[in-house]
Amino acid sequence: MSISLDQVTKRYQDHPVVNDVSLEVSEGEFFVLLGPSGSGKSTLLRAIAGLAPIDHGQIALHGNDVTHTGARDRGVGLVFQNYALFRHMSVAENIEFALRVRRMKAAERRARRKELLRLVALEGMDERLPAQLSGGQQQRVAVARALAHKPQVLLLDEPFGALDAKIREELRRTIRTVQRELGITTVLVTHDQEEAFALADRIGVMNLGRLLEVGRPRDLYARPATRFVATFLGAANLMLARQGPDAIRFGDSAIATDIHHRLPQGREHEVVVVMRPEELEIARDRRLLTSGYIARAVVEEVLFTGTLERLRLTLPEEVEASRLVGVGTSVGASGSGEARLEVVRTQPERRTLPLQAGDAVVIGARHLHVLPTPLSSFVVCVEDSAREQELLSHPLLEQLVASMKTRVLVQQMASDHRAPEAGVAVIAGGAGAARRAAHMLATGANEVLVLPPSDAVPAQVGICWHGDGVRGATLAVGASLLRQLSAEAICLAAAPEGRRDSARGATLRRLLDARSEARATHGLEMRTELVAGEGIAPIADYIAALPAPMLVLGVTRATDVAGELAAFIESERPSPVLLVYRSATP
Amino acid sequence: MTPRRSHSVLPGFGITFGFTAFFLCAIVLLPLTALVMRGASMDLARFVEVVTDPRALASYRLSFGTSMLAAAINLVFGFVIAWTLVRYRFPGRRIVDAIIDMPFALPTAVSGIALTAVFSANGWIGEHLEKLGIKVAYTPLGITLALTLIGLPFVVRTVQPALQELSKDVEEAAETLGAGPFHAFRRVILPAVLPALLTGFALAFARGVGEYGSVIFIAGNMPGLTEITPLLIVIRLEEYDYAAAAALGCVMLAISFLMLLSINLLQAWGRRRLVAARR
Amino acid sequence: MVRALLITLSLAFLSALLFAPLAVVFATAFSEGVQAWFASFADSDTGAAIRLTLLTAAIVVPLNTVFGICAAWCIAKFEFPGKSLLITLIDLPLAVSPVVSGLVYVLLFGLQGWFGAWLMEHDISIIFALPGIVLATMFVTFPYVARELIPLMQQQGDDEEEAAITLGAGGWFTFFHVTLPRIRWGLLYGVILCNARAMGEFGAVSVVSGHIRGLTNTMPLHIEILYQEYNFVGAFAVASLLSLLAVVTLLIKSLVEWRTGYRRR
Repeated sequence: MSISLDQVTKRYQDHPVVNDVSLEVSEGEFFVLLGPSGSGKSTLLRAIAGLAPIDHGQIALHGNDVTHTGARDRGVGLVFQNYALFRHMSVAENIEFALRVRRMKAAERRARRKELLRLVALEGMDERLPAQLSGGQQQRVAVARALAHKPQVLLLDEPFGALDAKIREELRRTIRTVQRELGITTVLVTHDQEEAFALADRIGVMNLGRLLEVGRPRDLYARPATRFVATFLGAANLMLARQGPDAIRFGDSAIATDIHHRLPQGREHEVVVVMRPEELEIARDRRLLTSGYIARAVVEEVLFTGTLERLRLTLPEEVEASRLVGVGTSVGASGSGEARLEVVRTQPERRTLPLQAGDAVVIGARHLHVLPTPLSSFVVCVEDSAREQELLSHPLLEQLVASMKTRVLVQQMASDHRAPEAGVAVIAGGAGAARRAAHMLATGANEVLVLPPSDAVPAQVGICWHGDGVRGATLAVGASLLRQLSAEAICLAAAPEGRRDSARGATLRRLLDARSEARATHGLEMRTELVAGEGIAPIADYIAALPAPMLVLGVTRATDVAGELAAFIESERPSPVLLVYRSATP
Repeated sequence: MTPRRSHSVLPGFGITFGFTAFFLCAIVLLPLTALVMRGASMDLARFVEVVTDPRALASYRLSFGTSMLAAAINLVFGFVIAWTLVRYRFPGRRIVDAIIDMPFALPTAVSGIALTAVFSANGWIGEHLEKLGIKVAYTPLGITLALTLIGLPFVVRTVQPALQELSKDVEEAAETLGAGPFHAFRRVILPAVLPALLTGFALAFARGVGEYGSVIFIAGNMPGLTEITPLLIVIRLEEYDYAAAAALGCVMLAISFLMLLSINLLQAWGRRRLVAARR
Repeated sequence: MVRALLITLSLAFLSALLFAPLAVVFATAFSEGVQAWFASFADSDTGAAIRLTLLTAAIVVPLNTVFGICAAWCIAKFEFPGKSLLITLIDLPLAVSPVVSGLVYVLLFGLQGWFGAWLMEHDISIIFALPGIVLATMFVTFPYVARELIPLMQQQGDDEEEAAITLGAGGWFTFFHVTLPRIRWGLLYGVILCNARAMGEFGAVSVVSGHIRGLTNTMPLHIEILYQEYNFVGAFAVASLLSLLAVVTLLIKSLVEWRTGYRRR
């Protein structure tokens, strides 16, 4: 491995900017770190270069641990966002800087410089000053300078940020050529997905300090695992649907699918479906569709963009069961609001069926992708409307809904607390919360979020479970939740201190197993913590001592919640609890 | 993009910080401590007697009065000059702009004798004023004049960037909204540069209170009439009355600290306003 | 109309306050001809005063330059608690009356001062001698280089330094080959201004010097003595030299601003 990061964490004022990132980049690979601004990608790159000391974790270059090696001795080449050329030095002096530091002879320096200038197509510019060059040329010099000392790793921080589109493309090609020619391991940071697709062997998508997914561009585009990646890598329509044993149902229409996720407890459940705008088909009539029918729609807007035509469609209200949550959709807190779909068509498609605003059409999907996330939507369960507002404006719920762009329904509860049909049930904390939660789980809810009044979004999320049958589900829910929050994940288990060392060892092993499972299956990195004691009480104490905690708790018996857990859920200083329930006996 | 950099990758913090702190302590803090200790070790009654001596009180009045007046003159003319330099293009503007800093660079003794020469009864300007019955040299007016000269760059150089910051658009926007030039000035320009103006005023005042070199030549130095506080300290020293000198020095130092504090507060206020305005 | 009025007003004010005094210095200095101007420097006391001033500046300016660079480096490149206090303390000498600046050294090293007796015993003179003049001058000119460099270096950021480090350069190499060339114009102006203040300091030096002709009189003090002796040509001749220094300082400042496009404060 050329670059290997292990659980790298960088905090700024106690807030993780880079959150538990593990990554391996192989020899000669072109790796692109993609993410929105503030996602921590630049900080991660600076950490690899040695410019940002990390708080936790390990960084290795070519098998050597460089975590505590200064930037000077890491021998990487770094290209800065704004070039950072030495403005008082000529192009030649800039490029030869690293060689002069290494006391190379003038003749050798000269030869190397000529070679580099040829590589970046800037022959003859040796004596110019940076100020006499265009932005694109300056960036070429910066690349040449970073390569002069033959680093084994080249790092580029938003190298095309300040350039206009045409030069950007040209420079992109140069960098790709240089990289291929030298076979140098390269990490490039960008917020531009098109750039990532054009350059990368593999892409790592970052958000909120976390590395969400890593994969080849094609795979990430076609089969994203998370909502964020689905929508950040190109346009995507996200839609809630119900997954049965062998079909995906949108309202009354079902599309047969070959994607089989194991259904929890065998019953039909709600899923998030990704449909790329180019994978949607439009026809006048349902019989004319060549692909699976989804819904009827009305054309709201037609945009001509040159090569493609962009359509915005509105789904009529009556398609109640399938609520769209993707691109450009504003879903009101109560679940009302129009659902919209984005579709792009090629010019030939447009010619066969010209459309304008107001036309009624039907849509079909040529390709569907079901996100493997267990969190689809939320249902706020309240007894009176005073509580409704309180819950809907809870910062945690607001953050989750905004980040997931999903639906929140409100269900008025009578005295019997039956669980909603789909989605995560959200109930208020306080007295009686444990009993209500237990009842919901018993009546069919898989996840219940208990929200005590609070004005903060959690910064630490503890994950633990009661019974191994629910471990996988708890990790999946925890991972899904943590992608939406900028919080640290801590995997917790309790074992009695002293006496039975074997029991302690076994618990610790279970924790570490869970950690590797979370990493392998869900891409979630977490800390592990073994607390002394037995049962939920010591874990609850540990959680309560954190500054802004939250707990994700897996249970296999609904009665546990009303019993042992009640004390924690209804405690003095309560924190949000997300209960994950999978019955031990299916 | 990057939240805020930790600068620790660059070397040299230990050595530079160490040297800075050491040098600061040795050259500035230790001597000032000596002054404060000397003042503190004095008998309180004696201290009060020295610092409230009629001659001392007269010198405070003079120092404060003339500094305040000079700073006020600079507030007006400094603003006018800054305005002229920022808004208007005229031949010689660059030279004028450069020469504003002259009082920073010109030794105070030189400006002292030069001002005296210009404004004395037979000086270039003094002789004309003399005919009008205005005596400048060897009067409080002369002191004010010298302090005006010393304080001018402080006001101009603090107001200038604030005026540059305030783009002409804001003013034009005010005018398109129906504000007359006077109204625009009072409601738009003045509030925007007020923190800078006051900072400049405080800087000029602080400098004026302590000024010595340029004042003593034009002041005449008559005890109780044209004797400034710094001069009184020098006189006490020449009398080898170190205790009295130290007591007066403590008073001056306290004033310096107060001025420094208010200048910092004013600047913080100005920055906050600027940030708030940009949001 | 307003424009013409304001420009006239500004120019009139500046002429009376700045141009006239500057002009009078040279007019008086050369009032008895160039010969007389030169003659005033033949005086041995004047020569001694010039030498003392040059010597003082030669000691003070390099020390304050090194200090200024150190202070600017640690303030502009690092975050640490108490940074704003440090900046305020560095600016402190600007707010202190020059007379007080001299006084503090008298209280420290004078006969009745903290170290007075000890210095007497060891026959070391600081007050009324060169060391006192140097110390007082150092105090007064202490902030100039640092004040010039801190905002400049903060504005420039550390990208180029970081680039140098990733390319394998060490601290000194980075400083001399990357940082120093970037700040050279600001540094030049800071040094020149520091020098002008050092050579022209009057109040603080006047308190510690003892006014011993030919021994502890700097140029500004010598001007005072000549002036009080009604030797106007002599006084203004020396003053013209210092004025020239001020003019050169301002010229260099304009040059620096023109070179860097950067305005102080």
